[in-house]
Amino acid sequence: MKKFKLSTAIVAVAWATLSTLQVAQAGEINIIMEEVPDYDIVAKLTDQFTEQNPGITVNFDAMPFDAMRDKILTSSLAPSATYDVIIIDNPWTDEFARAGFLEPLESLISSQDGYAYDDFVPALADISKVDGSIYGVPYYNYALGLIVRQDIFDSKGIAIPKTIEDYMSVVKSLTNGDMYGAAMQPQKGYKIMEEWKNWLYANGGELFDDAGNVIINNQAAVDALNQYIETHGEAAPPNSANWGFDEALRSVSSGKSATMLSYNWMLPALNAKGGMSGDLAGNFTLHEVPGGKSVLGLWSWGITANSDNKDDAWTFISWISSPEVAKQRAIMGGAPVRNSVMNSSEVWEKGYGEAYYSALANILDGSAPLSSGNNAEELIEIVGTELSAAVTGQKSVKEALDAAANGVERAIK
Amino acid sequence: MHIKYKLILPLVFLLSGIMLYPLLFSVWLSLQDYRLTRINDVQFVGFENFGLIATDPSFLNAMGNTISFVVSAVIFELILGLSLALLIQKLVIFRGAVRSILLAPMFITPIAVGLMFRFLLNSEIGVIPFYLLKFGVSIDWFGPELALFSIVIIDVWQWTPFMLLMFLAGLEALPKTPFEAARVDGAGRWLTFCSITLPMLRPVIVVALIIRALDAFKVFEYVFAITRGGPGNSTETIMYYIYQTGFRFFRMGEAAAASILLIIFILVFVILLVNLSRPKVIK
Repeated sequence: MKKFKLSTAIVAVAWATLSTLQVAQAGEINIIMEEVPDYDIVAKLTDQFTEQNPGITVNFDAMPFDAMRDKILTSSLAPSATYDVIIIDNPWTDEFARAGFLEPLESLISSQDGYAYDDFVPALADISKVDGSIYGVPYYNYALGLIVRQDIFDSKGIAIPKTIEDYMSVVKSLTNGDMYGAAMQPQKGYKIMEEWKNWLYANGGELFDDAGNVIINNQAAVDALNQYIETHGEAAPPNSANWGFDEALRSVSSGKSATMLSYNWMLPALNAKGGMSGDLAGNFTLHEVPGGKSVLGLWSWGITANSDNKDDAWTFISWISSPEVAKQRAIMGGAPVRNSVMNSSEVWEKGYGEAYYSALANILDGSAPLSSGNNAEELIEIVGTELSAAVTGQKSVKEALDAAANGVERAIK
Repeated sequence: MHIKYKLILPLVFLLSGIMLYPLLFSVWLSLQDYRLTRINDVQFVGFENFGLIATDPSFLNAMGNTISFVVSAVIFELILGLSLALLIQKLVIFRGAVRSILLAPMFITPIAVGLMFRFLLNSEIGVIPFYLLKFGVSIDWFGPELALFSIVIIDVWQWTPFMLLMFLAGLEALPKTPFEAARVDGAGRWLTFCSITLPMLRPVIVVALIIRALDAFKVFEYVFAITRGGPGNSTETIMYYIYQTGFRFFRMGEAAAASILLIIFILVFVILLVNLSRPKVIK
């Protein structure tokens, strides 16, 4: 009897564990989300969706970024999807679409009354288009902007730098004693690639030319990396060669650094009264990155091709990304992706003011994705590793960029 | 079939299921162009993946980093563990309490240890750099020169207690007679240690070295939690390389080939270590 009870208990525990991974039933959708502030806003708004659509149950599975890619992959390889709705980071779009993991959305979009697809910022909407099909609709942007301590700039009579050379000169002049001009993020991989690519754009460079040739080691890239290393050496805090987002943000919010290139939506967080910046709140402003072309990041909503509940999934996506709900999301602090939201006087008034949304619109207007194509995730890691090696002096600039070019060519074979 | 073979059959089936099948599947994978995003287009490529891996500078660098890490960490742990074991063996009071406290790091999950040290040693928010700076000492623990060494220190902090435990058990099991005879003959402490303690403890040392070295080859959590292999690729270890290739870039064929090469390397390493440690037979 004891043995029977034990085996029953084991089976019950195993079933309970497995049931958390079950596919959604009819009228139920599972959504994988990243644990970020925008998720909290979506989760709050979803109460309204459930009221309006009592026949659809929405289950969120929120997790850290690192866990998402594997989970989406395993769900997509299964006969039936664990996740009906996924959010897609922009480097994953081509890879997932070409692997057949994503459902094309154009027919659903065109048949949705009042959806106003053309209202999405074109640079954002275009990221989800692969070989002429639309595989996602924008959720939130993470375009990079220049965040500065306006009080310091005003007191010293310094104008906001428009070129990368101006920026280098300004941050060097602001470096004095315990105060540093730029909190930089040269951490290996994604972070340094995301930051340095703004410098690459400012020098007219890119990863590939129009014919698809790798040009990551051309003169523009060499100049950009030399400038980046010079600035890091002369204007960034010491011992910051391995800094990522958290360290740079801390340096700026604690008043040790005067500028940083970071996600545009960090501005409201930095200026929040009683928030991370303490008495410095209200002193930060957002501008276009020097050079005018910034790195664009985007999370999109997508439906998995093996989902059994595609109609319900689209009902949710079309609702959460509709013009009306997008406006509510922006007012609650979400990063906007629609032109109508950024131009709305109601959003200016109830959100973070006209200056922020105008600056954001300018940033998005001249931005380009960090990387695209079938191996974007791998390319970012390869180039980001070599950039870090150059910044820390393990390789010369030319050696690092040549190694990056070789690595990229090897990866795309 | 003889009853003795029948009795071991369940174990054979179990081991085949959980060890042999995954190993054979890995060997099969290593011979295919197998990508998780192109699962319907798997192609046999023979030994091409092994060629790609063996000529990949990142793989060779990761292998070099891993060997440096294993050698440094295990030697530090051996010396520290043995020293602490000898000291604790002589301890008369609070022996149990001291032993319990010293063993504590071993019971923390390595990913938590990694996160803990990431914050303790972080140049912007870390407690240790903060206090060192008060004495005018500025050290970039995760800079290119020190990052791998910092990972070694973290491993030493966590796993020296394992060595301590092994050596303490070994020392307590040694017979007393040879030590008494040495004392009667007037041998000093150092001579006794070199001529009696070490030779008699050799089997325990070899087992401890093999277990720790095998475990150290698997170092992943500290790298994942702290440096992600950086700066550059100065802390990229073989396990992190395999993880990236397989689970971030979805190149399962190449990841399997790297794993097979690692298994072969470890096998040779263990055989050499065991052979070197065999006591010489005096004829």
